[in-house]
Amino acid sequence: MTAFFDYLLGGIGSGAVIALLAIALVLTWRSTRIVNFAQVGQAMATTFVAFAVREASGSWVLGLAVALVAGALLGLIVQALILRPVRRMDTSGAIIATFGVLIALQAAAAMIWGASPQPFGPPIANAGLEVFGHVWPISWYDILIIAVTAILVIGLGLLLTRTSVGLAMRASAFNPEVARLSGVRVGRMLGLGWAIAGVVGAVAGVLIAPSATLAPNSFDIFLVFAFTAAVLGGLDSLVGAVFFGVGTGVVLSLVTGYSDSSSAPVVVLVLLAVSLILKPEGLFGRGKARAV
Amino acid sequence: MLEIADVTVTYGAVRALERVSLTVPSGTVTAVIGANGAGKSTLMRTIAGLVKPASGSVALSGVGITSLRPEDIVRAGVVLVPEGRSTIPELTVEENLDLGGLWRDKAARKTSKAEALDLFPILADRRRSRADTLSGGERQQLAIARALMCAPTCLMLDEPSLGLAPLIVTQILELVRRLSVDANLAVLLVEQNAVTALRVATHGVVLNLGRVVMEGPAEHIAAHDELRHAYLGY
Repeated sequence: MTAFFDYLLGGIGSGAVIALLAIALVLTWRSTRIVNFAQVGQAMATTFVAFAVREASGSWVLGLAVALVAGALLGLIVQALILRPVRRMDTSGAIIATFGVLIALQAAAAMIWGASPQPFGPPIANAGLEVFGHVWPISWYDILIIAVTAILVIGLGLLLTRTSVGLAMRASAFNPEVARLSGVRVGRMLGLGWAIAGVVGAVAGVLIAPSATLAPNSFDIFLVFAFTAAVLGGLDSLVGAVFFGVGTGVVLSLVTGYSDSSSAPVVVLVLLAVSLILKPEGLFGRGKARAV
Repeated sequence: MLEIADVTVTYGAVRALERVSLTVPSGTVTAVIGANGAGKSTLMRTIAGLVKPASGSVALSGVGITSLRPEDIVRAGVVLVPEGRSTIPELTVEENLDLGGLWRDKAARKTSKAEALDLFPILADRRRSRADTLSGGERQQLAIARALMCAPTCLMLDEPSLGLAPLIVTQILELVRRLSVDANLAVLLVEQNAVTALRVATHGVVLNLGRVVMEGPAEHIAAHDELRHAYLGY
């Protein structure tokens, strides 16, 4: 039984990072109805930026800060790069284009930083905490991850529901024409959605790196997990993305604990498939099922 | 005052509007009537900047707005309430209302909101409900209230009567007429229901196949039997 709780607890930290990436996917989906598969590539690229800054300055915090700015810019660039040209195309064209961006980013990262993994250690202790004579599978670093995730989720929630900009962003996502006819600069709001998604993705990348090492394609598997969490949450719901992001982390940890790590991704994909068959609109989704 | 001069709009080979000119003076309601496909909605969408004309120009109080983006046309003071009670169902009544005029300063928005809620008290009672829980008439009121939040000098209404009970249509249009006088608005009203529209309008314009076939005081047009038979089919 102790093992069960250990596995459960051990999944929360990685689950929080999956939740962050899932939130980034939800934000681009909400603002432009595009699932941005390049998100994980953007997170990888900005993490390399953080790596470079950290190497040069020795400061993890400075690396993170620069990565956030890079994440926002990269989000805007990808949006301008994909959305503007393929606006007249159908949505599936744009989604396929995001795959193209992912591959391009990975190739560029490999050219700049090389394909072999770089060490990107945590800024604070990543060893299990010892409380009441038991070593728990949760570290100060995990607690940092959880805290950052919680702050970001609450901040985003407040931004979207309590501010004028948030209202303009939501209206632009729900009905661009009505928003435009109310005087909202819709193009800017969509760009802002992608920029914020880029920032959230950048945070996720920097936080994942210590557990995944840093290579051009080492985050790929997290795209699968984050996509699963976002879809299970209904793609529209921040709360759903967080819930299923953490849930995915816990499931991964439990499966890895009781069998081995190679079967964990398969279990996640099976869960995704089953839930899509049973409830195609997602477990937190509202309204019509998506026709895919 | 809104002035439309020689506007031609083409969709591929189809001419939706052919050299349409009309003037909407402030403080009046101008009704554009005509059968389905006459170009009424295209005219509205062109003025709002959603459709760009092949030639011709639109000006508000002498300032050209033809080349502006839709959101800048709204900010210039020309606000369209599109067809189909264009509220956003996922947002609350209050959020739908707040969406109008977000670029304006806080104090001005507060005043506009108080005025709008005064004009449509039902919206104040329902402000926390989602917009899709409102009835058709209430949603139309919400759409008009949101347009008023943008502080328009020209208000355009595309088929506000669509699918509403006659009594509610009369109430809404009467309110629009009063607004045009009280707030010195230039109102452009597009309607398929010509009788109702001409009752509140000062001027009438009849569109047929993208051309203006007649214009004049509303009561003249309402009394013109041949015209009714020829273009409006009743």
